[in-house]
Amino acid sequence: MPWGLHTKDGPGNGRVMIVDDEDNVRKVLRLTLTKAGYDVVEAEHGGKGIEAIGSDDNMLMLDVIICDIRMPKINGLEAIAFFQQQYPSVPIIVATGYPDQKMATDLLNRGVFDYLVKPVDRDKLLATVSAAMEKRLALQHDH
Amino acid sequence: MDVSPSTIRVIIVGAGKGGTALLELFTRSPDVEIVGMADINPEAPGLRLARNLGIHTTTDVLALIAEDRANLIVDVTGDAAMRTLILQHKPPHAEVLGGKAALLVWKLAQYEHDLRDQLIQSEKMASIGTLASGIAHEINNPLYTITGLSEHLQDESNQEVIQEYVEEIITAGKRIADIVQGLNAFARRSHEEETGDVNLNQTLDEAVKMARRATVLDQVQVITKFDDVPPVRGKADELLQVFVNLVTNAVQAMEGRGTLTLSTDSLNGYVQATVTDSGPGIPRNNLTRIFDPFFTTKEQGKGTGLGLHIARDIVTQYGGQLTADSTLGQGATFTVKLPAASQ
Repeated sequence: MPWGLHTKDGPGNGRVMIVDDEDNVRKVLRLTLTKAGYDVVEAEHGGKGIEAIGSDDNMLMLDVIICDIRMPKINGLEAIAFFQQQYPSVPIIVATGYPDQKMATDLLNRGVFDYLVKPVDRDKLLATVSAAMEKRLALQHDH
Repeated sequence: MDVSPSTIRVIIVGAGKGGTALLELFTRSPDVEIVGMADINPEAPGLRLARNLGIHTTTDVLALIAEDRANLIVDVTGDAAMRTLILQHKPPHAEVLGGKAALLVWKLAQYEHDLRDQLIQSEKMASIGTLASGIAHEINNPLYTITGLSEHLQDESNQEVIQEYVEEIITAGKRIADIVQGLNAFARRSHEEETGDVNLNQTLDEAVKMARRATVLDQVQVITKFDDVPPVRGKADELLQVFVNLVTNAVQAMEGRGTLTLSTDSLNGYVQATVTDSGPGIPRNNLTRIFDPFFTTKEQGKGTGLGLHIARDIVTQYGGQLTADSTLGQGATFTVKLPAASQ
């Protein structure tokens, strides 16, 4: 199956990649999402995220990306620009502990699916991921 | 005899609260040279400050006046006998400011002193505002660990997993407590703190620690070249404010990427601390203006334009100097030079 196909046909509700430098943040997100039936891939910074989905012979299938902003090495903004350019049909949800209205507006204008501020409420997270999955399906049908 | 109209060479008589306020004000006035300060009490607060600033102090008013180096004697003792004594012994060309006139100047100096305190405090609060938005990030992550794991605890029955979550929640709570404690220490009102011996190596370390919380330093290489320097005199909190300002400015100038070099060394009775960034540098015509109040090159709402002004004010108050040096394209260096505390 080529990269970019929705994995909902397979087991689970789809695959989410979490890009965040904080182990515990990834852990909470993973617990919440796996309990809701999602398949989860983790990356501890933007570079790892790019690496994870970028290697040609082993392209990773993803449906939604949850990405932090302030991270070492390649930060969230750079990683998001890369994901959007390479994989325009994968919705990106920003989850940051650094609320910045201007940045939120900029990101949403640039096509980021949603902007969540940590600590994220569990129901809010699941509702957003579920909506992003719908968007992912819709985009896939368009292509 | 003095003919230069621009320089006022002044003797302050009386080193209580009023004399101290005048001393602080005069120290920061470029046209005023303080010849000396006198008080009957050798431990008067003004005399202690004057000694720290390297200004001649004495308990013998008449001897100081007899040196004939001052063209103005300011008597803030409010003591009629002292006023008569000064008028009898003063050199003919020296003017005396005493009585009600001195009281008025005293009050103005006191007022200026209070304003300055408020200004320092409000700039500190503004910088806390900047720090706080950065610290929000630091706090929100462990907070998410706490709320997130607690939610999962609700439907967890495996004792081992529960134990693991609880331990992580406690660790996250302690991390938040640490951050809040650091912020509290910085916000504490400085004039409640006594002037004491301050080690600038520690101050620089602490400033970097604060900046690390407020801005992303992961892509900044921090190099420290600390000498075993003697302490300087000052309020630890105010000096920390100076270096937090210099370090956060440096990181902002580099837009979070580059090399931050901190160094200390001692020379001829002074301790020198420098903060050097590898940012774009400061244009020559701005170099003279950066210490002006309300001068800022930051976006509206990002800087008050008071940080460096107040930093210089604080350093000057302790008899030191804050200077900036930069070559466009090669970063900038800020140097704080303070007198070493007498051992």
